[in-house]
Amino acid sequence: MHNLTQEDLARAIGVNRQTILAIEKEKYIPSLDLAFKISRYFGVNIEEVFVFDEKTPTIADK
Amino acid sequence: MKKNTFYLIFGCIALVLLFVFWYSVEIHTPLLIEIAFIIGIVLVYLAKRKVTDVINDERDVKITEQATIRTMQIFWVVFCAFSIGAVMETLRIPAFPRQGSGMRPADILPPRMMGYIQLGLLCLMIFLYVGFRIYYAKKYGDFETDEE
Repeated sequence: MHNLTQEDLARAIGVNRQTILAIEKEKYIPSLDLAFKISRYFGVNIEEVFVFDEKTPTIADK
Repeated sequence: MKKNTFYLIFGCIALVLLFVFWYSVEIHTPLLIEIAFIIGIVLVYLAKRKVTDVINDERDVKITEQATIRTMQIFWVVFCAFSIGAVMETLRIPAFPRQGSGMRPADILPPRMMGYIQLGLLCLMIFLYVGFRIYYAKKYGDFETDEE
């Protein structure tokens, strides 16, 4: 859609590519700060990028 | 500073520490290696702060944090349990005479052996930390691959 690689996105928001990959694969739940950075990068609301699921364990649960 | 430069500096510090260790054994001065070890670690930390091509993001912090917490949860119990026993043995507490003989039983562990075991436990802590780090890195997607 944005013709963007994980590396580009990672560099733009100041994280490792592996972190972007982990978020995509639902292995890591980003902090609110990082979630906002990602959504702002795409110029959309946070709910359009991340969906809150009651069943998904939070980082604290993990 | 580049990552590889840091590893080079780290290797040099390790080599110097090895030399200082050998020298302190030669002159029977353990204080020398103790001070050198602390200085060496401080230098490594200072050098690490200068590395610019490594991004330490929140997921890395999370992995480090979890691995450290789990390591300490296990390590402090084992280390303290052994150390309490070792201190009691060293201070000869309690020194109750056994069966009226008035003779203190022989040491279960000689002090030198206690030192070796404590050193072994410290080495075990490093392995424990590495193990937990690998576990949490895997859990938080460090070994994930994609088709990109």
